[in-house]
Amino acid sequence: MNHAKKGKNSSLTSVFQKTEFTLGIIIVVLFIVATVGTDNFCTVYNITNLMKQCAIIGVLAVAQTMIIITGGIDISCGAITGLSCMVLALLQRDTDVNFFLTLIIAVVVSVICGLVNGIIVYEFQVPAMIATLGTQTIIYGTVKIISGALTVSGLDQRLLDMGNTNIGGILPVLAIFWVIVSVIIFLVLKFTIFGRNLYVIGSGVEVAKLCGIKVRGMFYTVYAFAGLLYGIAGIMLAARVQSALPTGGEGYEMNAIAAAVIGGASLTGGRGAVAGTILGTILMTLINNAGVQFGLNTHVLSITSGVLIILAVTMDMLKARKKG
Amino acid sequence: MSETIMKIDHISKFYPGVTALNNVSFEIKKGEVHALCGENGAGKSTLIKCIMGVEKPDEGKVSMNYNGEWIVNANALEAQSHGVFANYQHVNIALDLSIAENYFLGRQPKTKLGMVDWRKMQEDSQKIIDKFEMNVNPNEKIKTLPIAMQAMVTISKISVNDDIRVVIFDEPTALLENEKVDILFKFIAELKERGVSIIYISHRLEEVMDICDTVTVLKDGTYVDTKPISEVTKDSLIAMMVGREMSDIYNIKHQVPGEEILKIENFTDSKHFKNINFSLKKGEILGFVGLVGAGRSEIMRALCGVEKRLSGDVYVKGKKVNIKNPSDAMKYGISFLTEDRRTDGLALQLPIKTNINMNSYEMISKGGVISLKEENNRAEDYSKRVNVKTPSVMQLVGNLSGGNQQKVVIAKLLCCDPDVLIFDEPTVGVDVGAKEEIYKIMEGLTAQGKSIILISSYLPEVMGLSDRLIVMAQGKITGEFAGEELAGLREEDVLKRASIEG
Repeated sequence: MNHAKKGKNSSLTSVFQKTEFTLGIIIVVLFIVATVGTDNFCTVYNITNLMKQCAIIGVLAVAQTMIIITGGIDISCGAITGLSCMVLALLQRDTDVNFFLTLIIAVVVSVICGLVNGIIVYEFQVPAMIATLGTQTIIYGTVKIISGALTVSGLDQRLLDMGNTNIGGILPVLAIFWVIVSVIIFLVLKFTIFGRNLYVIGSGVEVAKLCGIKVRGMFYTVYAFAGLLYGIAGIMLAARVQSALPTGGEGYEMNAIAAAVIGGASLTGGRGAVAGTILGTILMTLINNAGVQFGLNTHVLSITSGVLIILAVTMDMLKARKKG
Repeated sequence: MSETIMKIDHISKFYPGVTALNNVSFEIKKGEVHALCGENGAGKSTLIKCIMGVEKPDEGKVSMNYNGEWIVNANALEAQSHGVFANYQHVNIALDLSIAENYFLGRQPKTKLGMVDWRKMQEDSQKIIDKFEMNVNPNEKIKTLPIAMQAMVTISKISVNDDIRVVIFDEPTALLENEKVDILFKFIAELKERGVSIIYISHRLEEVMDICDTVTVLKDGTYVDTKPISEVTKDSLIAMMVGREMSDIYNIKHQVPGEEILKIENFTDSKHFKNINFSLKKGEILGFVGLVGAGRSEIMRALCGVEKRLSGDVYVKGKKVNIKNPSDAMKYGISFLTEDRRTDGLALQLPIKTNINMNSYEMISKGGVISLKEENNRAEDYSKRVNVKTPSVMQLVGNLSGGNQQKVVIAKLLCCDPDVLIFDEPTVGVDVGAKEEIYKIMEGLTAQGKSIILISSYLPEVMGLSDRLIVMAQGKITGEFAGEELAGLREEDVLKRASIEG
């Protein structure tokens, strides 16, 4: 009896100590403050917009979470998203390729980019930060060249519709993509050997090898899979912007990494979860959205986001130190 | 009676939820070798931190007699400037720097122009290296050295200082081979001669009996007693440490070895070992002894497909098998407990649950999907079997003591239900109580018909536990003992075989 009570108590405190709990509280408070404090925040239009803003970063952040769990990082995620978006737009404007095939080609290109990242990181032992910084720069250059540094419009009507459709007038189709991707990765991380092995690799590559984990295959798969998600994000970006910009996706990597880190993923590897990343994405987006509603200047908001990132990681470090 | 150099004066240290030290008092005399004994968690490490000024005691103080004046060292820098030095349990040196740079870290010799005098630094380093018979180039980076050599660097680094008054050695021999242990003891004797006081911490009580003058025992953060070494025996020390008598802890029940289960033929790799042949029987404990660098671990790594070999065949139950990687080894029933559990045995940031299961997820999953219930059951079951002391299997492994970490590794191996278990230095950094438990686990495994290959640098352990003993030197097998011959074997004989020049 006594024992059971103790157990219950400790699991309750562990809920309160969780990053997810803190983030949830902050989000709720922020939401209430913005609703009470401004006229336009809690409107159908703005909430829909907020979800659309979350969707693309949300998909990237979830992909990023998987890579961060292995102890890596992927700076090229915005660039690959932009490339996928541009390839899609060019195919649709300039060729007669079937609509669905254009989507597949855009995704396949992204998977290949991701795979290249994985190969460089594993085979040549280049630190992930540097390897993906390199591919990022290469891909940005490539996008500029294939687009002639001009915006490409003339997308397929079905894609344009997808970007504009809100189910029930409020739930954007783009947000549904985000939810589906998040649920899948959540399941992968929680229930599959693949997911569990990502954590083991992040905790130590030597340990993983000695456990009989095929580390090479894991690296290839996780980077290529992230590429696949960036490809999907690229399609979403085209639908949202209704065209492909030569600068598409630039800067998204930082938001995606920040969302994962705020959500509790550790850049030293071995730690991270989808729920935290989703909340991290919402919080980052909410601050910007609500800030604009309050009439704050975007540069001020940029400072706020920066402070938030540093705070989140600092708190995490303090917690770890206290435990150790 | 010589004068007192250090007074540990009623100190207590509290951490949230734990009393690490509770009103501990004793004195260190000038020029004595003072052993500090106690199980893991007895408070030895905290006490050292208090002496070094790294931690501040919550009550009481550590004061030092500095040229007749009683002072308190407020931090590590102050302690070092007063001649107090510590050699910590985990090697703490700058891995990316050379040996010479590490020796002179923060006190590099300068040329007239104020630049670092590299030549002098190298010459002086070479002198230290020669003195400690380390036989390495002072320009070598620490991270390229074997871990035993790294430990030697941290020990020899102490001799660089001019004003040495108190030196703390925390498990200095845990990573060293016998020959280097002798060099360490010579160094300690030399320091003692110069009037330096030594605080010596070791789980190896034989060493304590051999080189120490006085011993202080701690248990669960409290002071038990201080006695001259002449008034204690190994058994009475253990009794003081654990609060009960413990006779011969190596005395386990042996099985009658059954049919041959594993045979290694003509194992050769590019540099570590040559032409190795041996076999292992069912229910047998086969011991491997040798100096560090003799090639024991390397053979096992090659056997399990961790490292490549040039030639050699493996037979499991009489059938020739091809093991290309660790997962093949597991498939054929061979599990490997590696020497360094912190870097390649455990995922320290992950919970016990994941660690226990991580070798064997395939056994509890369908199509790559893990049964979480099975995962939890197995973690609970196996952690109970090896008696991991933890409130929950969700506890992170990094928060466990050395002994409990090692038990988690063993549980991980058992999960794959192997026939052959290779234990490479299973009791390094593990306290007496946990050691005994590990031996009991080994006893239980052989009773179930499993076979064990035991590599240990600690002779009493490997000689006491093995049914058969293979001695190696420089990559070759130089002796094999079993039965009566093994029972009558003396440590000197083994050492002689282990140091034969190839």
